[in-house]
Amino acid sequence: MTESWRKYATICLSAACALALVLLILSLQLGSPSTAIQYTLDSMAYGSLYALMALGLSLLFGVMGLINFAYGELIMAGAYTMFFTRSWGWLGMILITILIVTILSLLTELVAFRPLRNASPVTLLVASFAVSYALQEFAWTDGLGLAHQFDATIGTGPQKGVEPYPWLTNQFDVSGVLVSKLEIVTMIVTIAVVVGMTVLLKRTMLGIQLRASTEDFRMTQLTGVKANRVISAAFAITGVIAGIVAVLYVFRNNAVAPDMGQGPLFVAFVGGAIGGLGSLTGAALGGFVLGMIINILGATLSIQYKSHTQLFAFLLVIGILVFVPDGLIAFRGSAVARLWAKFRKPAVEGTTP
Amino acid sequence: MTGRVRGAEPLARRMWPPLVLSLVLLMTWLLVDAFGDIVYTDITTKMFLMLMIVLGLQIFSGNSGVLSFGHIAFMAIGAYTSALLTIPTAIKQFTYLSMPHFIKFWVFPAQLNWLEGTLAGGGFAMAFALITSPPIVRLAGVQAGIATLALLVIVYVFDVQTSAITRGTSTQIGVPTTTTLRAVFVWALIFMVAAFAFQQSRFGLRLRASRENERAAKSVGVRVPIERAIAWTISGFVVGVAGALYGHYFGGTFGPDDFYFNNGFNIVLLTIAMLVVGGMTSVTGAVVGCYFVTIIYEGFRRWEVNGIAGVTPPAGTSNFALAAALLLTLILRPNGITGGKEIPWPSDWHLPRRPRGPRAAEAAPEPLSEAGSAAS
Repeated sequence: MTESWRKYATICLSAACALALVLLILSLQLGSPSTAIQYTLDSMAYGSLYALMALGLSLLFGVMGLINFAYGELIMAGAYTMFFTRSWGWLGMILITILIVTILSLLTELVAFRPLRNASPVTLLVASFAVSYALQEFAWTDGLGLAHQFDATIGTGPQKGVEPYPWLTNQFDVSGVLVSKLEIVTMIVTIAVVVGMTVLLKRTMLGIQLRASTEDFRMTQLTGVKANRVISAAFAITGVIAGIVAVLYVFRNNAVAPDMGQGPLFVAFVGGAIGGLGSLTGAALGGFVLGMIINILGATLSIQYKSHTQLFAFLLVIGILVFVPDGLIAFRGSAVARLWAKFRKPAVEGTTP
Repeated sequence: MTGRVRGAEPLARRMWPPLVLSLVLLMTWLLVDAFGDIVYTDITTKMFLMLMIVLGLQIFSGNSGVLSFGHIAFMAIGAYTSALLTIPTAIKQFTYLSMPHFIKFWVFPAQLNWLEGTLAGGGFAMAFALITSPPIVRLAGVQAGIATLALLVIVYVFDVQTSAITRGTSTQIGVPTTTTLRAVFVWALIFMVAAFAFQQSRFGLRLRASRENERAAKSVGVRVPIERAIAWTISGFVVGVAGALYGHYFGGTFGPDDFYFNNGFNIVLLTIAMLVVGGMTSVTGAVVGCYFVTIIYEGFRRWEVNGIAGVTPPAGTSNFALAAALLLTLILRPNGITGGKEIPWPSDWHLPRRPRGPRAAEAAPEPLSEAGSAAS
């Protein structure tokens, strides 16, 4: 107990140190501390959303080695559900969105990924691309004829989607720093999802089965765990997270379009990889770091290079991948372990910790 | 008599797959050239262009087993380089007003013909591949995928934002439209043979060894990063040439979005899908996958446009058909249509083994689609 408590304390402390460093650099660069705090807060809200996106993708990668390109289309489907149910009130809208995305996620598993259970990662990737291609085409051509019933023009490009709720997106002033409720809600939801996932994975039977499957799928099956159930559960969790991401993303950007899923997918993919796609904490950390990098580069680069923000961000991504190929999570692990080794007394004389 | 023939057999066996594939390409070209109207010529030209990219991907990904999303970046570089060097000087002087001087002074006087332009495009892409190889070749698996993806994003952002050199999102003016069906056929043929030669060479052999078991390959002295870098650089040239030809095919009406995740025609993922659906580890697979995807997609596309017996399917059918065909093929044959094997020598063909059913054994093997199942 104390061991894990200390571990978490160290993580929190190092995160706080990193944050303080970022604040310091920003305030030197931007001149005033309140602007720096503003940027940091915005980056954190941004990073939280990115972390959520990466979280959904990394679970499936961990369990079955699948990089799910259809993940972006799940978010797109969620956005359209929100658009169609926009007159239902926000609670009904959110619940039905999460429900529909979860069902869609389970359906993709049933149709496409169940027959490919033991295929190589590349095959799975191309299969998920086929699913994503079909779903996107479905949205472009409006396969169910939904547009007429809901007074919308689907398939003709981006359109104004869900109207923003003023009480959610209006910014209010906290001693010079502008904050909106949506930013706070995003951060709280992200923390809640991460904590919820941690509890689910560490404290429930399903979580133990899921974690065992990430370690060694075949061996887990041999011990009597039902593969279909575990993988369906993973897809359901992915669906729930994609639904939550869709809600937060649409509240933030309002627009709804058939190709809107690509941005979040991209972020999830890249962020997950720099954090460590195999581990949930790593993926969330990676998504968060990617959001921070993009936002802070956007704030600090001079006007001349501002349009090239993504270029520099992705150079950094390559750098991170080369020097820490297993993701930032491995780096943190080894750094903490080394730090620990310095302070820890060996239990038995002569053995090194 | 038999002695001479037997002596030649190993060589003939070795030459067999590229020979058959050359025949397939040649037949395609001859048929389309003789009977195809402008639509089929266009489709076939695009197919050969895609085939070059898939072959480039095969040289790197197929032999090393490392996934790459970044080859389309080489295509962009090839297209832009060749376009810049072949546009007539008089046009360049008023379309690239804000080009920095250190590029201007050698780009403006240059006025290459199409072959020199294509080779320059390929060469420049190759140089870029060489420069970017050190970080890429050290990675494998998802990390390599992301790093190559990052490369693609970097080149894309550069193309869009550095409008002084690339004209940003506007199209180029004055690129000579020189790419013909015959030209792409010849290039595709050369690259098909080159891909096969590379696969059979000592470099290809070492790389394939590292794909099967990296540690075992290292233990017998294979320097995996160097072998990967060689394949990466060669494939950079192949895809760069494809890009240059692509630029000359559309007469300059290409933009950065042609070399990125484009919604209408997602070239990055579609080329990977072609390679995987055909069978990643063989050159035959690259060719078969390219033909398979093109035939399915364009077949349904023709049906959508022309209709058969007055029946036209709803719009978007070709896309659904492609997605369904990809999924079905992968479910039935997870290692691709060819199973990653080359076309076997005729005497090695045997009927697909079915445990029961007298009629199953009578089914005659088709050369391409049954090749993999016979071998596996």
